Amino acid sequence: MKYAILVALREFAENAKTKGFWIGILIFPILIYVSTSASTFLEKTKPVRNFVLVDASGELEETVEQALDRLHQRKVMGELASYAKKYARLPEGELEIDFEKMPAIDAKGMAEQWASDNPEILDQFLKAGGLAMALEQLKSALKDDAPAFEEPKRPFRAVELPEGVSSELPPAEMAEALKPWLRGERSIQVEGEPAELFAAVIIPEDILERAVRPGGMPVLPGGEKLGIQYWSSNLADEDLKDEIERSINDEVRRREYEDKGVDPAEVRAVQRTFLPFAALNPKKEAGSEAVSMADQIRQWAPVGFVYLLWIAIFTIAQMLLNNTVEEKSNRIIEVLLSSVTPGELMMGKLMGIAAVGLTMIGSWILFGFGILKWKAGPETKLVNELLGVLQHSGLIWYFLVYFVLGYLFYAGAFLAIGSLCNTLKEAQNMMGPVMLIMMVPLMTMMFIPKDPNGTLATVLSWIPCYTPFIMMNRAAADPPMVERVGTLALLVVSTIGMLWLSGRIFRLGVLRTGQPPKLVELWRWVRAG
Amino acid sequence: MSVLELERVTKLYGDFRAVSDVSFSIPEGSITGFLGPNGAGKTTTLRMILGILKPSEGRIAVFGAPSVLEVRTRVGYLPEEKGLYKKMTCWGIVAYFASLKGLDRKTAKRRAHELLERYGLKDFAEKKTEALSKGMGQKVQVLASIAHDPELVIFDEPFSGLDPVNQQVLEDVLLDLKKKGRTVLFSTHVMQHAERLCERVLVIAKGKKLFDGTVPEALRTIPRKLVIESGDDVAPLARLEGVLELAPVSGAKDGTYALRLRESADPQAILMSCFERGIRLRRFDHSDPTLHEVFVNLVGSEAREASFR
Repeated sequence: MKYAILVALREFAENAKTKGFWIGILIFPILIYVSTSASTFLEKTKPVRNFVLVDASGELEETVEQALDRLHQRKVMGELASYAKKYARLPEGELEIDFEKMPAIDAKGMAEQWASDNPEILDQFLKAGGLAMALEQLKSALKDDAPAFEEPKRPFRAVELPEGVSSELPPAEMAEALKPWLRGERSIQVEGEPAELFAAVIIPEDILERAVRPGGMPVLPGGEKLGIQYWSSNLADEDLKDEIERSINDEVRRREYEDKGVDPAEVRAVQRTFLPFAALNPKKEAGSEAVSMADQIRQWAPVGFVYLLWIAIFTIAQMLLNNTVEEKSNRIIEVLLSSVTPGELMMGKLMGIAAVGLTMIGSWILFGFGILKWKAGPETKLVNELLGVLQHSGLIWYFLVYFVLGYLFYAGAFLAIGSLCNTLKEAQNMMGPVMLIMMVPLMTMMFIPKDPNGTLATVLSWIPCYTPFIMMNRAAADPPMVERVGTLALLVVSTIGMLWLSGRIFRLGVLRTGQPPKLVELWRWVRAG
Repeated sequence: MSVLELERVTKLYGDFRAVSDVSFSIPEGSITGFLGPNGAGKTTTLRMILGILKPSEGRIAVFGAPSVLEVRTRVGYLPEEKGLYKKMTCWGIVAYFASLKGLDRKTAKRRAHELLERYGLKDFAEKKTEALSKGMGQKVQVLASIAHDPELVIFDEPFSGLDPVNQQVLEDVLLDLKKKGRTVLFSTHVMQHAERLCERVLVIAKGKKLFDGTVPEALRTIPRKLVIESGDDVAPLARLEGVLELAPVSGAKDGTYALRLRESADPQAILMSCFERGIRLRRFDHSDPTLHEVFVNLVGSEAREASFR
């Protein structure tokens, strides 16, 4: 055992020095950090999109303008909500109610209201005077050191037609005339600065006559072009297109109601009517059956863990393979075997690399928690929920158990392969089929949470080489106890079997030179021991 | 007292007898050369001694222990094919192998630095082994195998791949070990090394032991030889006492003859009788046989056969 520990210490020290190890440790927190920051960063750095709107009919321009303004106002309201929540004066610490100092209004309460998606609230917000009024109201309710509120940039800006393009042109010619700007070959002037024209919206004169109604003439192929044309060389960013399309159709429908003698206000009231609807989970205790965001996260978090498990097991089993092949190809193995038994050597390698792996995932967990805690705040609901799930669901324990067993299982296989190969190239050839087998959990990873106790999941759970991944995948769905215990027991037994088998192959394989043996020969070794 | 004893050891690979019925013993404090042509079974024998391979038959005792594992800290081993961990420092690797032989980490580190300094590798102590030349790497490995100060040292082809200067360093290492009373067994095909360093030699070919004994004993296994060159009739010399055979040396110039002598024969007496008989000599060349000749004589046919197998 003493010698196994010496081997383990060396394995750990040498592998902890490699670049692969540090990349492994750092890649995960960087990924988390980037993905949590990316969305806000992208939002902030997104340029203002300039577009021209040529409405020959003169009927829809205002509608589009209003809709885009409303879109902006909603964003303003949302940001204001986060702002108010963040800088609201805290009531605690003030035992005496000081009427002079007490906020006239409840900033947090207002913030919560503004954070809602209900169009009703936006109407009220705008009616009450919008941002300027809201800021005035908030003033007294905020901390003294609260910075001034920064109004978000408007995402879209309607600009004039470029010089030399007449607004009188018919749609087809207009599109043709604007193409150099839309392709980025020429730039428009906005407030004296050159800018890029993001999109052009061309509405023909007779647009209202082209409305398609049920039972009427269907739109013939190519006929869409006779309607509203949205030109842009960037069709991936769909926000502007969607907003224009939606607002114009809303407007057309409003007019249809009027034509048919229906009051649009009533229609709007009807459209905003809804029945409360709750999604519930019978496995939860009374009072908490509601399917919350936390439940959603709990259902999908295992997928992340499966992925981590896969990466962790493969990174380190690969290390094991590499340095076994190194020892063989350098013939260091012979010196080692004059000092330690093959059993001690194998045990030492298993322990050393396991320590490397545990260090790696330990650091992932710490970094993960650290970043989530750091990022967590009133406005990051998702992060808070995620943190809660990680802390309380026990997924991490599942992860650790399946990591250790999965590692030992695959490490056994990789050690046996490593002991049979003289060069890394040979090892890679033999790894091919193993990798194919290994891909399965990655492919099923996304399907299993949808039917976590279904046939596919159950069958795969009972195949030892998949048990760690699939059971991790199902962890949140409380698989039946029989399966949990049964598959775990089977996994333990097959891991022991695998280690025993690879121990026998390892003992004979490590000293072998020349071609890797045939399967028949391997079987003889195993039997002969 | 013998440090190492092999008794009727055989190693089979399927039907192939790599080592066949080999017995010998190595006395304490000796340096023994293990000689044999390629494929003779030297490495297999050494691996069995080290417990890396199990003998198919027979018994091996190291320091009286039936398994080398019990006494592994008292044995040092340098395998035939040399390799080191590329990413480790020189001192690190010497210390690691020493610690695998039971030295505590502090002592192992100290010993590593001491040895590297003593054998001229001080400047490389902190370098990674991948930066070393092959010969230097081999020196590091030799040091790694003796860092724990083993009582029995087994080297498999320690001289191969070393330049003459480093061969000399290695000879010094071996002589230092001998001075400290350690027992050394090393295999080689270079007879000059064996002749200079060894007290005893062990010759095997095709898995069988051909000779086991001291160097003088080995030299006595072949008749002494006398080469003469003369324009006169030398036939009467063949009848002299102590001369086994007289034959012209093929390939040499005319009038060159080789005389094979009995152990007891006196070359001076032969020279005398040449004068008496009026045989005028242009050359009279008497030298003792070398280990090289002994080796070729013992395994010559075997080696040629082996190379065609």
